[in-house]
Amino acid sequence: MSSRTPRPPSIPGSAMVTAQASRRSVLRALGLGSLALSSGSLLAACGGDSGGGPASGEGATVKFGINEAQGSGPAYDRLKAMADAYAKETGTEVSLNAVDHNTFQESINTYLQGTPDDVFTWFAGFRMAQFAESGLITDLSDVWPIDGLDDAFKQASTAPDGKQYFVPVSYYPWAVFYRKSVFEKNGWAAPETKDDFFALMDDMQGKNITPFAFGDKDGWPAMGTFDILNMRLNGFDFHMALMAGDEAWDGDEVKLVFETWRDLLPYHQADPLGRTWQEAATSMGNGDCGMYLLGTFVVDAIADVGDDLDFFTFPALDDTIGADALDAPIDGFCVAAAGQNQDAAKEMVKWLGSAAAADAANNGADAPFIAANSEASTSTYTDLQKKSVEVVSAASNIAQFMDRDTNADFANTVMVPSIQEFLKNPDDIDGLTSSIQQQANSILG
Amino acid sequence: MSIETPTAPVPSRTATPAARTEGGAMSRPRGTVATVVVAILALVWLFPLAWALLNSFRDYGYTQANGYLSFGGWTLDNYRQSWEQGRFGLHFKNSVIITVPAVLLTLWLSSMVAFVLARFSYRFNLTLLGIFLAANLLPPQALLIPVFRLFREIPLPLFMSDSGSMLNSFWSLILVNTAFQMGFCTFVLSNYMKTLPHEIYESAMLDGASVWRQYWQLTMPLVRPALAALATLQVTWVYNEFFWATVLLQQGDKFPITSALNNLRGQFFTDTNLVAAGSVVVALPVLVVFFALQKQFVSGLTLGSTKG
Repeated sequence: MSSRTPRPPSIPGSAMVTAQASRRSVLRALGLGSLALSSGSLLAACGGDSGGGPASGEGATVKFGINEAQGSGPAYDRLKAMADAYAKETGTEVSLNAVDHNTFQESINTYLQGTPDDVFTWFAGFRMAQFAESGLITDLSDVWPIDGLDDAFKQASTAPDGKQYFVPVSYYPWAVFYRKSVFEKNGWAAPETKDDFFALMDDMQGKNITPFAFGDKDGWPAMGTFDILNMRLNGFDFHMALMAGDEAWDGDEVKLVFETWRDLLPYHQADPLGRTWQEAATSMGNGDCGMYLLGTFVVDAIADVGDDLDFFTFPALDDTIGADALDAPIDGFCVAAAGQNQDAAKEMVKWLGSAAAADAANNGADAPFIAANSEASTSTYTDLQKKSVEVVSAASNIAQFMDRDTNADFANTVMVPSIQEFLKNPDDIDGLTSSIQQQANSILG
Repeated sequence: MSIETPTAPVPSRTATPAARTEGGAMSRPRGTVATVVVAILALVWLFPLAWALLNSFRDYGYTQANGYLSFGGWTLDNYRQSWEQGRFGLHFKNSVIITVPAVLLTLWLSSMVAFVLARFSYRFNLTLLGIFLAANLLPPQALLIPVFRLFREIPLPLFMSDSGSMLNSFWSLILVNTAFQMGFCTFVLSNYMKTLPHEIYESAMLDGASVWRQYWQLTMPLVRPALAALATLQVTWVYNEFFWATVLLQQGDKFPITSALNNLRGQFFTDTNLVAAGSVVVALPVLVVFFALQKQFVSGLTLGSTKG
């Protein structure tokens, strides 16, 4: 609050706050209605008036809300390192608000409509676009382009209205992980084609190794399997259209995904609903299972064999579609429309997209993520990170993961239980898909 | 309740052999059955708690490698780490800042309402009590959006709340907790006050005591047991409150201890043994209060249930 502009002494501070609050809420109410776009920009302007104060340098303060609790490990250390580096470089005071990941995500709606920080950590994709549409985050198109962030990232930061609302900082791919030593010992190689893939899985089963580790107790890990199967069988464009609610969930395409999945289930660990992803990762780490489809964060659970890990992208299942798409969720930053110092926020968010910010994060702590900025130094990268860069740059289409590509309510309240239901009872695909479609109708409209 | 009763009637039975054989007390075989059933139920209830307690002393790496049915990997590290990583010192302080004023305010306000309801007969007395109780039946979640919007529109000077509004301040939590606990306290206190003999008030009035004096110097000392019982209950309820803190606070370092427990979970990775240790630490104050003041608890729950 020290960033507040000096105001005429005749107006009490509280009155100014009320005036702003009521003006803002009226606009917000409009924003939630049909006037989403126009009121969104008005709102941003509004936030600008109220804030003011210097945007950077001595005496300026920017509030920075992050979705990692203090002391929660490398992810927090990286964000903290970025905040510190920015404060050091510009002299701006960065006031950090650290909230744990799950709480932050669950209360994001009240956060943005309440008293949000100026800059906050968020995700690219639908989750960002949703807030852009309701005018809760600030248009950042004047911050773009940012040196070192290519067109793919600009695309990922763009809402359906064609403006950018997001600045990416890092990402990580989802791929099939395995232990190099286990593959070497058995004379296996990363499969290139569908036939290789199935031959490999059969060979594993012959040697009494479960081909795929699998756990879905928390509900979200299996979404990764759905995503990759859908992208391999129906293509990236269909996948994104499906996530946006433009394609039918009870159509033949989605049924094909579930049927293929059902046929692949015998190659997966049984009873996945009772297993967390950490436990599944452990069974890959100790050699009970041959492979595990997960994000690179898998090393967090099996750090002791981290150096022995390698991965390959899920092979093509349909040659006409190929294997050029994958899930690679992008993390980054948005500016809250109700934040008090819009100029300071924009200044900071632009810096956060820079190579300097990425380097500060990478020097701050190791994490299995890779910097979005292509000019960032890769000297601290592990082999896994280097390979992640390769794999993601080779991919021509990048999805964000189901719970980021579609409506959060739909992902959490419909898809989590539906996929779990499928894993319990894989035979009733018609009933399952029509139930998903019915719920999609009411949520996605 | 049923376990201890069989011993009591035994002497009376020897004194008057012909009299009641059954009745209030249970016969021996039925008593045994009841004991066994109750013991099993108690075990079922205690098992998850004991399990969490046990595993809070075990190393995550060990349980992950050997499964939870193994035995070994003992460590106290989870407690040290949960205290540091969860920043429990700070969050305990926040809990105290919220709980103490909320409980005091609740007791003070509800005792005043209860005094009026119990001592003066207005036409709307019963209606008023009914309204207080009805509000108690309303699930707090139903009021989430109105309260949130209301608080957002209430400005506070910056020295009271650094967000400039009721949102994201301790005041909001103190008020919300007070509001939601007042119904129950008013109900209990007014019933308790009705049991005080009317004659005391008549003599007090004859001596010229004002209404305030009747409340503060006469009633309050007499309802002290009820206040003590309610204070015990309220401290645990407000301390355990989780929902409003998560909704109304947006700044990580303002969270009370219950919401801060989430700090121990990572984005992808949750060390369940660490969370178990954290939960034990968080539950400890409630357990201490409960065991130290057990009597108050029981009397608090049965207070005012009979009219004297």
